[in-house]
Amino acid sequence: MPDGSFAQQPQQRQFNPYTENGGTILAIAGADFTVIAGDTRQSEGYSIQTRYAPKVFRLTDRAVLAVNGFAADGNMFVKKVKQRLEWYRHAHAKDMPLRAIARLIQTMLYAQRFFPYYVYNILGGIEEDGSGAVYSFDPVGSYEREACRAAGAAQALVQPFLDNQIYFKNQMAAAGQSHPLHLPLSDVLAIVIDSFTSATERHIEVGDGLEMYVVLAKGRSSQGLDGLRGAQEISTTNDGDRVFVIRRELKKD
Amino acid sequence: MATGGGAYSYSLTVFSPSGKLVQIEHALAAVSQGTTSLGIKATNGIVIATEKKSSSILIDDSMIERVAVVCPNIGIVYSGMGPDFRLLVTKARKSAQAYWKIYGEYPPTKVLTQEIANIMQQATQSGGVRPYGVSLLVAGWDVTRGPTLYQVDPSGSFWAWKASAIGKNMVNAKTFLEKRYNDDISLEDAIHTALLTLKEGFEGQMTEKTIEIGVVTVPDPAELEAGKVEGTGRFKPTFRKLTEEEVRDYLSL
Amino acid sequence: MSIMQYNGGSVIAMVGKDCVAIASDLRLGVQSLSISANYQKIFPITDRIYVGLPGLGTDVTTLHEQFRYRVNMYTIKEEREIEPQTFAQLVSSTLYERRFGPYFIEPVVAGMQKLPTGGFAPFIAATDLIGCLNFAKDFVVAGTASEKLFGVAEGLWEPDLEAEDLFETISQTLLNAVDRDAFSGWGAVVHVITKDKVVTRTLKGRMD
Repeated sequence: MPDGSFAQQPQQRQFNPYTENGGTILAIAGADFTVIAGDTRQSEGYSIQTRYAPKVFRLTDRAVLAVNGFAADGNMFVKKVKQRLEWYRHAHAKDMPLRAIARLIQTMLYAQRFFPYYVYNILGGIEEDGSGAVYSFDPVGSYEREACRAAGAAQALVQPFLDNQIYFKNQMAAAGQSHPLHLPLSDVLAIVIDSFTSATERHIEVGDGLEMYVVLAKGRSSQGLDGLRGAQEISTTNDGDRVFVIRRELKKD
Repeated sequence: MATGGGAYSYSLTVFSPSGKLVQIEHALAAVSQGTTSLGIKATNGIVIATEKKSSSILIDDSMIERVAVVCPNIGIVYSGMGPDFRLLVTKARKSAQAYWKIYGEYPPTKVLTQEIANIMQQATQSGGVRPYGVSLLVAGWDVTRGPTLYQVDPSGSFWAWKASAIGKNMVNAKTFLEKRYNDDISLEDAIHTALLTLKEGFEGQMTEKTIEIGVVTVPDPAELEAGKVEGTGRFKPTFRKLTEEEVRDYLSL
Repeated sequence: MSIMQYNGGSVIAMVGKDCVAIASDLRLGVQSLSISANYQKIFPITDRIYVGLPGLGTDVTTLHEQFRYRVNMYTIKEEREIEPQTFAQLVSSTLYERRFGPYFIEPVVAGMQKLPTGGFAPFIAATDLIGCLNFAKDFVVAGTASEKLFGVAEGLWEPDLEAEDLFETISQTLLNAVDRDAFSGWGAVVHVITKDKVVTRTLKGRMD
């Protein structure tokens, strides 16, 4: 106050511990493979913080996790999941099965029920029976197994496109025929790339780069993948399920 | 009217017992004292022209404007009272811009003519005003009717013409035009015919300082479809006034 | 809850080869309660122009009447039919008149535009609720499912689709987009406009 006294009025201050960092992730399961993809732009509001911040991570040779939402929470969450998987390896001398990782993620998310990780998770990989699988989570751990899922900033743009192209929604099969339950890898990769180029075109928070992880079931030939431009194998063993990563540029405007 | 100002505040335009509006006849008399103006429609355009004579050599005649651009596709010329014309030009220009604000394009010649005619008609029926002391020739091009030439009189009536003349010498000029006009006259020929017509009964020297010419040109459909003048987002004007140099060239031929 | 979502509904228009298509859902609701499964929000303006009016139901009616009035006055005064481009401008200026108390509608215009050389060109446009025009060369969307429509259309649309293929593309785009939107759906209607005729089809969709 001008007279030198202090105003005795209550003042409220607030700290918001969360931000939203844009970007989109997506996973599609095939019969014996799974594709898990995400763009690499990280933004805050209208500012791009970086054009390369990975949102998709290899957990094991059969599991890949995509994390979207609040990047700091996402990175910390992935770190903690990886740590739990390493402990599991030390205790059991094998990699945790995919369905067990899914349940672990639920437990870890729900543990933070009243101060959640502000992230949407999509887990993709190969089940113990050799089938491709996608698990999607909400921030507090509700999850389900699906054939495909999109999450993040452009979920509204991508998910209905996937409904149409993967589940053949609103399409009629030719007489006496039915729609395929699973698509071949080349088709899936094409749909993933189309989804992200479309999302990049119409959503400002999507773009810069695309990382597609492909998990192949044990014994499945990598036919077609080796020949694919820029496909790089990142699996640790040669006799189990295998993980590849494919990188593509997306528009940067 | 009669309620406010008493018995003498009637409109000046009241019917005479014989069914005439004497004020309009007087206005027409004012027009026929004005300098001659004429317009000729050709196959590929229209020419409008007028005398521009000043009463004293001391007047700076570069200030006098008797042919006016209303909007890029329409121009008008008058015979009669200069100040009335100026006012009508202002109103016509405003009307054209108001039309542009609604439809994103300039009015067709007929619509603008109608608009001007309405303004002139209102002056024959409103209290406290006199009719406009001018006749107008409105020349323009539009996509539906092509090049069209209209005459508007103080009464507010208007007609389309192939060729017409107004003002002091209109009777002679019209007779002259009737002899000279044919349906497949070109714009260049029409300009020369216009000059010849003006020359009949012209007092003094006919120079680029003492006449004014405006022309409507018909745009090539392909050019029109290609559309806008580069960088401006606007169509090429179809009405323009000839410069003094151009008028001099036509006079010397 | 935004007033733009009060009644729900979506419209999309697409350009094809010598044709345009405009389509909408048929739902009318009050927030989450569905009232009608046959609420038309696309209206013919001339034989070659259709306008879609997604947004607040009461304004759909009012604006449609407003456009009918203004187009009729235009037709009589100018002794000619209005062209799509001119009509889009009229839509824009009509909405901007209410700049500070807008109609809660985002109109979509589709039609075949007459060319100076005598041919016809496909024309589409959309505006926001205060009349800011968007002349797109590919497709325009509006309504509660607009984000979804953008995503699917961006994936399915391609240049120079023939009328039948354009019909298939716009139908699939609309149906799959509205199935992910709680406020749109309950059937759909599609108009495919060519220079000499309009083909209108009503589609069955998910009723949930």
